[in-house]
Amino acid sequence: MVKKVQALVIGAGPAGLCGAIAIAESGVDVLVVDEGIKPGGQLPKQTHKFFGHEGFFASTRGFEIGEILYQKAIDLGVKFQMKTTVSGIYEDGIVVYERDNEKAYDINADFLLIATGASERFISFKKNFLPGVYGAGAVQTLMNQYRVLPGQDFLIVGAGNIGLIVAYQLLQAGANVKAIVEASDKVGGYLVHANKVKRMGVPILLKHTIVEAIGEEKVRGAVISEVDERFKPIKGTEKELVVDTICLAVGLQPSVELAAQAGAKIEYIPELGGYVPFRDENMKTSVDNVYIAGDLASIEEASTAMIEGYIAGYNIAQKITGKDLSEKINKMKKELEEFRKGPFSTKVRNGLKKFGVNFPEGGFRTEKQENTGPTGKLRVKIECPQNIPCNPCETSCPTGAISVGGNINGIPHVDYEKCIGCGVCVMKCPGLAIFLIQEQEKYSIIGIPYEFELPEINEKVLLQNKNGEIVGEGEVEKVVRNNRGKTHIVFLKIPKGLENEVRHFSKISLEDEEIVCRCEEVTRSKIEEAIDNGFTDFEELRRYLRISMGPCGGRVCRLQTLSIISMKTGIPISELEPGRFRPPTIPIPFKAIIKGDEENEI
Amino acid sequence: MKYKVCIIGGGVIGTAIAYFLGKMGETSVAIFEKRYLSSGATGRCGGGIRQQWSTEANVKLAMRSVEFFKKFKEEVGMDIEYKQGGYLLLSYSEEEAEQFEKNVKMQREQGLEVEILSPKMVKERYPYINTDGVVLATFCPTDGHANPHKTTFGYAKAAESKGINIYTHTEVNGIDIENGKIKGIQTSRGYFECDVLVNAAGAWSKEIGKMAGIDFPTESYRHQIFVTEPLKYFFPFMAISFSGNFYIRQALHGQFIMGQGDKDEKPGINENVTFKFEKEMAKKMVKIFPFLNNLRILRHWSGEYNMSPDAQPILGKSSEIENFYYAIGFSGHGFMLAPAVGEAIAEMIVFGKTLHSDISYLDKERFKKGIIQEKNVV
Amino acid sequence: MPRRVASHPILGKMEEKQEIEFEFEGQRLKALKGDTIASALIDNGIDIFGFTDSGKPRGFFCAIGKCSSCLVIVNGVPNIRACITLVENGMKVERQKGKGNPVW
Repeated sequence: MVKKVQALVIGAGPAGLCGAIAIAESGVDVLVVDEGIKPGGQLPKQTHKFFGHEGFFASTRGFEIGEILYQKAIDLGVKFQMKTTVSGIYEDGIVVYERDNEKAYDINADFLLIATGASERFISFKKNFLPGVYGAGAVQTLMNQYRVLPGQDFLIVGAGNIGLIVAYQLLQAGANVKAIVEASDKVGGYLVHANKVKRMGVPILLKHTIVEAIGEEKVRGAVISEVDERFKPIKGTEKELVVDTICLAVGLQPSVELAAQAGAKIEYIPELGGYVPFRDENMKTSVDNVYIAGDLASIEEASTAMIEGYIAGYNIAQKITGKDLSEKINKMKKELEEFRKGPFSTKVRNGLKKFGVNFPEGGFRTEKQENTGPTGKLRVKIECPQNIPCNPCETSCPTGAISVGGNINGIPHVDYEKCIGCGVCVMKCPGLAIFLIQEQEKYSIIGIPYEFELPEINEKVLLQNKNGEIVGEGEVEKVVRNNRGKTHIVFLKIPKGLENEVRHFSKISLEDEEIVCRCEEVTRSKIEEAIDNGFTDFEELRRYLRISMGPCGGRVCRLQTLSIISMKTGIPISELEPGRFRPPTIPIPFKAIIKGDEENEI
Repeated sequence: MKYKVCIIGGGVIGTAIAYFLGKMGETSVAIFEKRYLSSGATGRCGGGIRQQWSTEANVKLAMRSVEFFKKFKEEVGMDIEYKQGGYLLLSYSEEEAEQFEKNVKMQREQGLEVEILSPKMVKERYPYINTDGVVLATFCPTDGHANPHKTTFGYAKAAESKGINIYTHTEVNGIDIENGKIKGIQTSRGYFECDVLVNAAGAWSKEIGKMAGIDFPTESYRHQIFVTEPLKYFFPFMAISFSGNFYIRQALHGQFIMGQGDKDEKPGINENVTFKFEKEMAKKMVKIFPFLNNLRILRHWSGEYNMSPDAQPILGKSSEIENFYYAIGFSGHGFMLAPAVGEAIAEMIVFGKTLHSDISYLDKERFKKGIIQEKNVV
Repeated sequence: MPRRVASHPILGKMEEKQEIEFEFEGQRLKALKGDTIASALIDNGIDIFGFTDSGKPRGFFCAIGKCSSCLVIVNGVPNIRACITLVENGMKVERQKGKGNPVW
């Protein structure tokens, strides 16, 4: 059987729902397909009140927003097909798989809005495969949708917004949260979220990490440990927590499979969450009739997902009907601009800039130097955004390249014609806020001011961003010792494109039991061994070790594997081939295809 | 840079030729591969190793190859998941059944052990196969299958250990000819001089020929293939049917790999996949192999058959340019023939003639005499 | 111990649902209509859903049908995702140990 629709929306989360509403407002026929049981994407799992402004449901709880949007869409005549997965976008059609009816068939659509959201990231620690180690989204699903707590005593890994929200939701559901561990030294999420769980007695252990799950057949506890300034577990600080569940909230990655299969150009933009489809300011991908919105476009939050959905939807409606909807589109663009002006949107703004989509920042005073100097030249990058009375950078510079603009409180600016990249200011700066950067042919160099036990030359390290999050793997190129001042400079080879991300690093622990590919049980050490044996392409590794050949289709392991390749070979992730995103995106039974096809023939 | 032998193509053929050259003591060899090893047809194929062919030439090459596959692990040093589980050929037409009987006679004359099975015998042996419509079957227990990626990697690593160089992500853009001889090749990594050039470019063999001004009669056609979730290993043979248009096998890892041919494909490189293929396969395969009904399709991809006019490989040395060798047009069967072909081409280069397999009737000039079609092709 | 969230400060009291029975590893267990196999097992205190080829225990992980960590055998058919398959009256669920057996 072949269905025909004018517009097909994949994903019934906030972005997809708003996109469908926007399209249907013009009387266009819209079908929304989603694999979930209830429409709303992640919204039905959210019991907390949302941020933003009231036009986009601020102060309304997530699950209620889902219901309101769904009702609005239904009222406009939008059709929904739940428990239905788009299993692939093939040369000859879009294939959907109805799980309940065990049926797969083609859908023909003139326009496509892909809003497939994101999936959770996974991290390595000892015995991370045990039952009782669950993703944060999974815990929310069980707890808030099926009303079953998968445990009683929880450890949460990650103090970003998701970890903080899950902790709060667990408390609401009557569970104990023994601790939230966070490797960096500050809370990544909104402080208000953190304060909510803190005042209920949940310790947020900053500079702590999980090192091991305890148990033979299931989780009975967890070993956590303090980490030093280099995020390395400090021996002797290990603590055992008696928990039965370890909840991972270590970030999200966009679900790009379908967009890739639709032919949309995919790029690696770490600020947007990893691999994302290219899109313009109208949310159009590199393919003319394919639009995207929400977490697939950039890992952000529900308000911006909704607005992006509207922008995409109105654009699609405009093309289908030929009506001028520019007023509605521009209104939504203005909304988006307002939302993205704050400091929490910085990453997204920077990421979108790489697509030539610019969002202004403002509302707070800023006189930062935009020019980061001529690409390819070894030069300094000063990250001193606040007005503090300090100027050793200016006075120590042998070439007079740095100036704070007269008054000592000024924000320093660099004259890149004069900067010779000598690193004197890096060693002098009391705030350790000056870095050295140089883009080279295959990788970039970052020089980091460093005041701890120095690493070995050529040592492989995990690269960390300003929040202590691991963004990839790198290698120590050289160490410039400063025996008098004790601020040394460690030069790292890092993947290109991460120059403004990497600000710290930590040692890599080599542990046989660290699983990278869950489906095929491939460990980190096996991958590294294979890379040493010359398998340096993702596709080669896939064929050799069966990485990402299991039923999950590589969702769990692809990025981690690429990061390991990048670290071992020095080739930037952005230049590595991410491998093919082969259909089907979810295994579909023979009987479903047969059933779908039989109905076609009748 | 200069190498004595430059090989274009990092698939199973190119790496096998390099491996045998190395074994024969010729180590001034380089392979040029525009993507990664096994990225073309090799890494996309079904991995079957069959000796039941309809032409004597193919039977001989296949039997020679099986001798090598048996000792691959010891000799080359990589476990390629080789399994001699046999090939079950199912015929669904009287005419084809007659042809099968003729084939078996010829195959037995070559010393190959082949059984002829009635549908009833098939059902007794393999109760999980629905034999409705089967007229006749043949079974060769020494046929089998292996992992094509690991086989390619095995050849490549062994060649590299002898000092042979492999340039991946290196595209050949031009062939430099002087006085009717190849002098070198222009690549995305610069110019390389060579005494001998080998075209093992599979799907791109025609394009490589054009660079030297030679017209190879090959065309590439897309073939799709998919793999299911794994089950416990119970299906040791490859089941295949030319009249039924399918092949299926279970890898040692448990997953089922299967495909069919499509007469409507147009020539050209196309690595996309279609849902039509999944629909056709699902209907056909569940009928014959009912245990598939509950199984799920995990990954679906496509690769190219580099077809020759008679569906047999084109092997040898160019009559126009004396230092230009070719091993192309395998028509979907390069993986299984690679050992004998790799050995023969290497012998031609090193010793000036083949020592073990006669491949003279597979050269490009044969098409001038007319075409003897290989019939055992999916 | 895992348990039902019968009342919730935000979501309110759980709606009344029909009780059904299913079998797990030969043991008769209760579930509520609308439960997935995963939520029913978790409610019964079972979090080992199977074992991998190498013998490592496995439970669910993503709970939305993506990661295939929770494969079980249902009425003899292997490779069923416990987290997105609704439990039914009389259903026979078993732990999958490595790869499943063929059924025809």
